[in-house]
Amino acid sequence: MTPPPSSLSQIPPPIPVDTHPNRSPNSRTPDERVPDPDRLAPEDAYFAPSLSRGRSALTNYDDTLRSLNGDASLHPPRGVLGADPNRKDVRKLGAGAGRRRRKGAWKKLLWVKQSYPDNYTDTETFLDHLQRNPRVRPYDFWPLVSDSTVIVQHVCSVVIFVCCFVDIVQDRVSPVSVVCWGSVGTAVGWILWDNWIWKEQTELSNANGNIGGDDGSSSSSVTSGVNPPANDTQGNGIKGSPIHGLGLTMAANSSKEHLPHQSPDHNNSVSGVIDPTARAGLNPAPSSAVAGDMDVQDIDRPSLFSSRNRQRLSTVKSAFLIYFSLLGLSPILKSLTKSTASDSIWAMSCWLIIMNIFSFDYGSGEGAGATKFPASLSTNAAVMASTVLASRLPSTTHVFSLMLFSMEVFGLFPIFRRQLRQKSWTGHVCLTLALVVIAGGAVGMTMSGGWASAIIGSFLGGILTALAMGGCSWWLISLQKYKNVVIGPWDPARPIIRRHWN
Amino acid sequence: MPYNIAMVSDFFFPQSGGIESHIYQLSSKLIDRGHKVIIITHAYKGRTGVRYLTNGLKIYHVPFFVIYRETTFPTVFSFFPIFRNIVIREQIDIVHGHASLSSFCGEAILHARTMGLRTVFTDHSLFGFADAASILTNKLLKFTLSDVDHAICVSHTCKENTVLRASLDPLMVSVIPNAVVAENFCPLSYYPRTHDQIPISPADPRPSPTPIGPNDTITIVVISRLFYNKGTDLLIAAIPRILASNPNTRFIIAGSGPKAIDLEQMLERNVLQDKVEMLGSVRHEEVRDVMVRGHIYLHPSLTEAFGTVIVEAASCGLYVVCTRVGGIPEVLPQHMTTFAKPEEDDLVVATSKAIAALRSNKVRTDRFHDQVKMMYSWRDVAERTERVYQGIIGDISPSEFYGSYPDQGWDVSGDRVRSFALIDRLKRYYGCGVWAGKLFCLCVVIDFLIFVFLEMWFPRANIDIARSWPKKQPLDKLRTHSIRNSK
Repeated sequence: MTPPPSSLSQIPPPIPVDTHPNRSPNSRTPDERVPDPDRLAPEDAYFAPSLSRGRSALTNYDDTLRSLNGDASLHPPRGVLGADPNRKDVRKLGAGAGRRRRKGAWKKLLWVKQSYPDNYTDTETFLDHLQRNPRVRPYDFWPLVSDSTVIVQHVCSVVIFVCCFVDIVQDRVSPVSVVCWGSVGTAVGWILWDNWIWKEQTELSNANGNIGGDDGSSSSSVTSGVNPPANDTQGNGIKGSPIHGLGLTMAANSSKEHLPHQSPDHNNSVSGVIDPTARAGLNPAPSSAVAGDMDVQDIDRPSLFSSRNRQRLSTVKSAFLIYFSLLGLSPILKSLTKSTASDSIWAMSCWLIIMNIFSFDYGSGEGAGATKFPASLSTNAAVMASTVLASRLPSTTHVFSLMLFSMEVFGLFPIFRRQLRQKSWTGHVCLTLALVVIAGGAVGMTMSGGWASAIIGSFLGGILTALAMGGCSWWLISLQKYKNVVIGPWDPARPIIRRHWN
Repeated sequence: MPYNIAMVSDFFFPQSGGIESHIYQLSSKLIDRGHKVIIITHAYKGRTGVRYLTNGLKIYHVPFFVIYRETTFPTVFSFFPIFRNIVIREQIDIVHGHASLSSFCGEAILHARTMGLRTVFTDHSLFGFADAASILTNKLLKFTLSDVDHAICVSHTCKENTVLRASLDPLMVSVIPNAVVAENFCPLSYYPRTHDQIPISPADPRPSPTPIGPNDTITIVVISRLFYNKGTDLLIAAIPRILASNPNTRFIIAGSGPKAIDLEQMLERNVLQDKVEMLGSVRHEEVRDVMVRGHIYLHPSLTEAFGTVIVEAASCGLYVVCTRVGGIPEVLPQHMTTFAKPEEDDLVVATSKAIAALRSNKVRTDRFHDQVKMMYSWRDVAERTERVYQGIIGDISPSEFYGSYPDQGWDVSGDRVRSFALIDRLKRYYGCGVWAGKLFCLCVVIDFLIFVFLEMWFPRANIDIARSWPKKQPLDKLRTHSIRNSK
């Protein structure tokens, strides 16, 4: 805003323009002053208990406004200027009472000298930026129950582990049979998991191939060599469009650099076809992409397995590594905490298992900040609990079995559960039911032995779990009414930054 | 009627900062207005005992255990004996505490109320409601402010925040902004306009400022501590884009902090060392010398109660680009500022707009200094604070101070004039919360018992009364009177 040039000699009086975003004169129509449950009136601030009551009745709103601030008469908050027939009388009354003359509306500004006292509270603008519960999403009952299955699954698997330990200690169950069943389950789970991953990858590559197949035909080998980043889609298109020339095959290869996680099938199909000499002749532009191609080529040639099989092999390798190192460590683990009193061991393992349950990553694995694998704290606590418990077992075989079983239950099973939940909802529900039944049965068996008590236990366990799930969900929903998030201009702003460096 | 005022805060010189200079400026202006002001703070390294500053401003450096960033350890009661001694010795009427994070201030307000003194509290900062630290701080603030006579906030946003945090009656909270010493923040080519000088002709006797040509370099100044909440991330993201889209632009960045490394990395990555000058931290006295080197002041802060620095920048004749957060939109008129949302894109757009406005010579930045001088002065702050003192002491009737509305059928006094009766005080504290209320009541009762004990064991009669600093006639007042008369 430029001051008028006529006032050059004097300091131009700053024109009070309201910089407050919510107070432009046009935006405030009387209709907008209908009390909004999300907005507070000033009196809500010091009638703290009344915060939750919500202003529903209009008359009530008026009364509270008036009681808050006598200025309600001088500045009728609901009337339009001049439209109030009582306004004149009121002002006369105010003047008779010795009030100062008031010109103009009060402005939420500091730099302009206003004829209002410093403690003046404007009922219109006071706290008008305050928002209550702006981002609250009300919970629904059934989604909440279905989400709680994740917790039920984990608690059940922990219960199963504990029951197995107790049974092993009491010599009711042979540790070898426990670990055998566990290993069979793990193997089945791994096969399923591997299958899903493979399917996912093929689907992904197929989808990419369909996208990239169309625009690849126009590009020549030179352009593909010069502009390697442009080749990403074309590279994927090679499988779906075999009529493309050699240049395109090369493009596919050069794009290997940019897509290191590409499906392994491309690798094989492409690497056999290309002749390096032909490629060198066709490609006059000695870009770095070509050198990269050579490297990829060299790595690909000698491999007998597809990378998928290589991956499997490495999994099996690491499984054996863990198996044997556990076998070697078992005697050490057995005597590690032997000198500690049993009371301490029970207390410690209890706390560790509770820690495991509470710090477990129950997230779905999607979303931005989700970790791919369960948080390490939870896993570490569980492994430490089983290490500590292992010292109460009589033989090295026992220790080895328990440790391996705990690895399977706490390390691998969560990954499988997470994947299953993403893949098939019915599978997830079935697994939950199975886990609940098994856990209940295990508890029953541990308590009094015999199949009858196991059945009773699983029955009771199922009922209790259902009640707990329903009850907790209902409880959480009913607690929502106490939620009171207050957000206003005093909160530090969240900066929005586009990450764009490169 | 002159009052004896004790300003209490953990934060005072030799530490430097906004609160410290606020207390000093306000105190010295209040002394100019004929009051007696002492300051009670904790002992700093090398500053102990009693000291005098200019104008007979007396500082008590109370020895106390400092825990974190010059804040004393909160020991609710241990401050009482020495505080009582000082207050009686100096015949204090009003205890004025500053800063909600200062435990000295909270304790002093509690003890002062127990001793039957009027109390004022000034809040300088904004707090959220979400995290655990804020919840604790807010509870403590509630404890402090349950019984305070009046609170002062530096901006309207700050008032809303304080009213919500401490569940105060909004009429008991005044808004009195900070100010700047405009003389210390003059533009480079500034010819002071004396009061006696009467403009002879409509033409401005001052030379018109040199216009900025389309190819002249525009310098953007940033002076802030480089912290997250000062918006340094926004700055880091915006600088390369601003420099890319506006040729002939330079940056001067003063300040240090944990984000300085990020900033330097950005400069190296984009090879902008010749366009961005990093000065490191500068002392407050040197801020003006840095500011006058630029044309635009960029303030990307994420939260700010008042933002004194943008007033200082405007006073130096800089056009201000700032984020619309906290109390900042209230501080400066629109022709001095361009507001941006706290977003990278918007900040770039706003800065480019500001550069374009300066290049087109539409903004008369040479007039900013005089305008700011009219808007903010410490004398004005002292006058308004004095009115608060008059209101709580009772020199202004409560009906005038809080507003009188006889036709409303509405009780004027309410609880605003806070009585000193213990039972009334306990009632106020009891309402602070289910558990906290009882705890606070316990504290108040113990405080009262300590007070009774102190009165018995260290009777008032045995405490010497300190001699006041010999007062000058308040010359300022006389001069302004004569000026007004001559006009």
